[in-house]
Amino acid sequence: MTDLSAKPGAAAPRTSAFLQRFAVPLALVALVAVATAVQPSFLSPNNLQDILTQAAPLALVVLGQAFVILVRGLDLSVASLMASVAVLATAFNATSNAMIPVIFAAAIVASALVGLINGLLVTKRNVSPFLATLAMMIVLQGVRFYYTQGAPSGALPEGFRFLGAGRIAGIPVNVIAFALCFALLAWLLHKSSLGRKIYITGGNPKSADLVGIRSDRVTILCYVICSVMAGIAGLFLVGFVGTVDNWVGRGYELDAIVACVIGGIALSGGRGTLWGAAAGALILVLIFNIVIILGLPVQAQMIIKGLIIIIAAALFAKAVKA
Amino acid sequence: MALTDTNRPARRWRLDPSLIIVVLLLAAVVIAGFALSDRFGTTRNFMNVLEQASALGFASLGQALVVLVGGIDLSIGAVVTASTVLMAGVVETNPALMIPMIFGTLLFGAAIGFMNGYVTLRTGVHPLIVTLGTASILQGAVLIYTLQPTGGVPFWFEEFAYGRIGGVVPISGVVMLLCFALVWAFLKYSQTGRAIYAVGGSPEAARLTGIRASRITLLAYSASGFFAALAGAYYVSRTGVGDPRVGDPMTLASITPVILGGLILGGGKGNILGVLLGVFLISLLSNLLNYMNVSTFIQWVIQGLIIIFAVSIYVHKGKKL
Amino acid sequence: MIRLDGITKVFPGVKSLDKVSFEARAGEIHALLGENGAGKSTLIKTMAGAYIPEEGSIHFDGQERRWASPKEAKDAGIHIIYQELMLFPELTVAENIFIGDPPKTRFGTIDYKTMQARATETLSRLGHALDPRALVKELSVADQQMVEIAKALVGDTKLLVLDEPTAVISGREAELLFDRVKRLRDEGVCIIYISHRLEEIFAIADRVTVLKDGQYVGTRDIGALDRDRLVAMMVGRELEDIFPRKKLPAPDAAPVLSVRDLRAPPRVKDVSFDLFAGEILGLAGLVGAGRSEVAHAIFGSMPRSDGAVTLAGEAFNTPTPRQAIDRGLGFLTEDRKGEGLMLQLDMAANVTAPTLPEFTTASGLDRAQEVQAAADEIRRFRIAIPGPKYGVSQLSGGNQQKILFGRWTRACRRVLIHDEPTRGVDVGAKVEIYEIIRKLADEGVGILVISSELPEVVGLCTRVLVMREGVITGEVTGAEINEETIMRHATAATRGAAA
Repeated sequence: MTDLSAKPGAAAPRTSAFLQRFAVPLALVALVAVATAVQPSFLSPNNLQDILTQAAPLALVVLGQAFVILVRGLDLSVASLMASVAVLATAFNATSNAMIPVIFAAAIVASALVGLINGLLVTKRNVSPFLATLAMMIVLQGVRFYYTQGAPSGALPEGFRFLGAGRIAGIPVNVIAFALCFALLAWLLHKSSLGRKIYITGGNPKSADLVGIRSDRVTILCYVICSVMAGIAGLFLVGFVGTVDNWVGRGYELDAIVACVIGGIALSGGRGTLWGAAAGALILVLIFNIVIILGLPVQAQMIIKGLIIIIAAALFAKAVKA
Repeated sequence: MALTDTNRPARRWRLDPSLIIVVLLLAAVVIAGFALSDRFGTTRNFMNVLEQASALGFASLGQALVVLVGGIDLSIGAVVTASTVLMAGVVETNPALMIPMIFGTLLFGAAIGFMNGYVTLRTGVHPLIVTLGTASILQGAVLIYTLQPTGGVPFWFEEFAYGRIGGVVPISGVVMLLCFALVWAFLKYSQTGRAIYAVGGSPEAARLTGIRASRITLLAYSASGFFAALAGAYYVSRTGVGDPRVGDPMTLASITPVILGGLILGGGKGNILGVLLGVFLISLLSNLLNYMNVSTFIQWVIQGLIIIFAVSIYVHKGKKL
Repeated sequence: MIRLDGITKVFPGVKSLDKVSFEARAGEIHALLGENGAGKSTLIKTMAGAYIPEEGSIHFDGQERRWASPKEAKDAGIHIIYQELMLFPELTVAENIFIGDPPKTRFGTIDYKTMQARATETLSRLGHALDPRALVKELSVADQQMVEIAKALVGDTKLLVLDEPTAVISGREAELLFDRVKRLRDEGVCIIYISHRLEEIFAIADRVTVLKDGQYVGTRDIGALDRDRLVAMMVGRELEDIFPRKKLPAPDAAPVLSVRDLRAPPRVKDVSFDLFAGEILGLAGLVGAGRSEVAHAIFGSMPRSDGAVTLAGEAFNTPTPRQAIDRGLGFLTEDRKGEGLMLQLDMAANVTAPTLPEFTTASGLDRAQEVQAAADEIRRFRIAIPGPKYGVSQLSGGNQQKILFGRWTRACRRVLIHDEPTRGVDVGAKVEIYEIIRKLADEGVGILVISSELPEVVGLCTRVLVMREGVITGEVTGAEINEETIMRHATAATRGAAA
């Protein structure tokens, strides 16, 4: 370490640039190899489908979180919002599947409103994203518990189960939903001029204003996208889990940030792709799976999660510096 | 115009403007308390609040030091939890170790804090991520060790939480006040203390001025871990066990008084006494709301709104978290 | 007192110092000269232990030294006053002066009483009086600078370095400063003085060392030099070769930008002027006079409180940057990295940022067209970059500036405001930038050049406005455009404030 830092221009930067570029696919391949080695049935179609179904709700949250991190933000309220949307869904106490679109519409509107408030606090009141979304997390939690008085009671239409855990032609429904969201958001971020504005805003908010981009509006929009994705993820997660409680999605805020960091979305903004973020989510779920396959206690996931977020962030920080 | 008036009379004293808001809010809560509840304004109640505020006080004090050097510590809750489990777990099987373990636990907390600081400085990763990672690691380790409250301590140790000096003043509250007084004096009267403000204001300027900025940063993080462990010791004293979830709310709770007290995320500015007032404000408010039978859930909402209120009032500048 | 031999310092991609040697004696004022980017700051940071050189040795006070940290150099008696003042705004005057080594009571705590008394005493040695308990953020820049110098007087300072100390203060304050600095020299302190204002160098320096492009050019006694020879040493060529021939705008040229009674508190108090098509108009003044703020207020990136602006014959009174761009007004800011480039994005994205609508189709952003447009700019401005899809962060200052030219000249054909066009670029690139500016003016663009470099204003502009404290205090044209006249307008003592 010391030797390298004393002589800049040595091989070090090239190595980390290489790592930065190929770390994500390499990690995916390595993890699949490890899992297959330990459990040969890992690559069976059925097991893969299970893993993807498990990964889909988290991956939906990660897509949204990526937008916020790209504009130098952070959203800690996503998990609390997932649970709140789940509770909101039960508030309709509906049994007919015809109500599902209504529930989705209500969830999206409510989530968008939460994202709007987060975004306004961050841009117009200049509150740090960390504190604004933290406060939102607590407020949502309080409102949710107050409404349910501790235990949600309403019913959900049967169809939610199909959305969360069912399959169409062998493909998990929630994975299809993820694919649709991913296609739309990836177009938005990587192909449209709005996406470019997001990168410009995240890369340098002052420059963004000076080239005629309303960085405030772009930032607010990213918070709205993040919250809407979290709301949708909340509904799919409820379908997957099968029951609603006040803590649906607990821990997803951290997992989503970890996935983004692993996937190369820089917390300093303006750097990273949606592909990377999605791959980050998949890597995280694969690691969780391997922990189980290896027969380690579930809590070991937390230790590994903590280690990889620090290591991944350090790796990318180094590569950027070089 | 070009030169400022150099003959301005020297000011004798000034009220730190960042304290005004917390003082006003505190006054409002106390007045409301006297008006709305006849049980609120008693010495007995105030002493109880002082005792119950001590865990929050310890945790916020540590958080404040890290915020002053421009960081943030999201591992406080996990350190609190890990400390309770470590202390109660070890002492249960060997009560003779009680006194060494008090020091051992505090040392453990300081060591975790030191690591947070070291990794932050060494890797250049944002402290938010580093301490979040540490929290996840610690919490995972604790939950592997136990899922239920566990362990035990000798009976006499509960004096730390429940003991009263002269039957009136809670020991834990006095310890908390002493810690604040010491840290206040340290920040005001020691060279290192002043350097904390310098490093928080601008690490690069501090370095070029000949201050060892990294050491100061490490000190602040270590102190944060230390005080979190002290909060853990208080919980063990109060409940007699190590609880694998007791610290969960502490991370976020420790930030609220810091913000209310007028410290700026990004560092270099703020008065530690504001943090103490913030601790009193939160504790008295929660006490009053309990008397008024306001549900915990509504109290969460109020806490969230207070954070938003506080950060929207203070002008935030510089580095954002 | 200090001797540096063969110092080489490399930053990723740039050799900032190349085998530079330098030597200064006790009891002299030694000027260190060079254009922006010549390596002066790197050299003093190396003296101060803030940078560790790859090669070379440092001798200080008769011994070879290898500083491991700024603290070691400071303890040995080297004190640097950086251009960006190293003060802590939330601490008091006394605390800042004694930040490294406060007086202590017998309990080891800070002795505030003694500290304040000694702070007052130290300041009075400089002939200055300040409340030692005032917070530094409440002081004027000139007072803050006195606090910086007072810091140097505490403890045993053998070598004092001042980096562009007059960049932010006015003439009268500068004279005061020179007087203090001479006093310190006479006490035997070795003083290294960095500035690019030549008249100052002749006023106070005993010897001069010149750096250029990271290399040592030479050291002379000040008596052995005249102005022209010094400039030739710094620039490496004669002045006439640097600037394109001046050309007045056509006599019937219409104003493309008219500003009347512009106010934008706190810095811009009352500004009126016209800019004509094809004109290169200079806006000079001290740092902090409000020049950049005028540009921001016109462009719409800072609110105006009052005033009327006409852009290409139409009123432009509720401006936003978007509207400014759409109406042909471009703004190249002084802070190229902080407010200009997006360092994470590739060159093409940097070029097209203000003109995204042009590349937007129903199916999204037309990347191919964008890359093509960027490639055109690479050719047009001869930008040294492998291609439009490469990053911009590693490029030289000159090439970065050309990318910004590409960005703004694509979008804005009427008015270009250029704040510090050659900050941090080398001499070769300067010449190219001046040619570009001349050429744009020839094409009919009205150009407002804001600059702290007086030779640049003098060499480039056909008319110069001078600002002081938010107001335009003078307009000079033709043969009147020289450094002395401009400085007189920029610094004339404010009447009434002397008392």
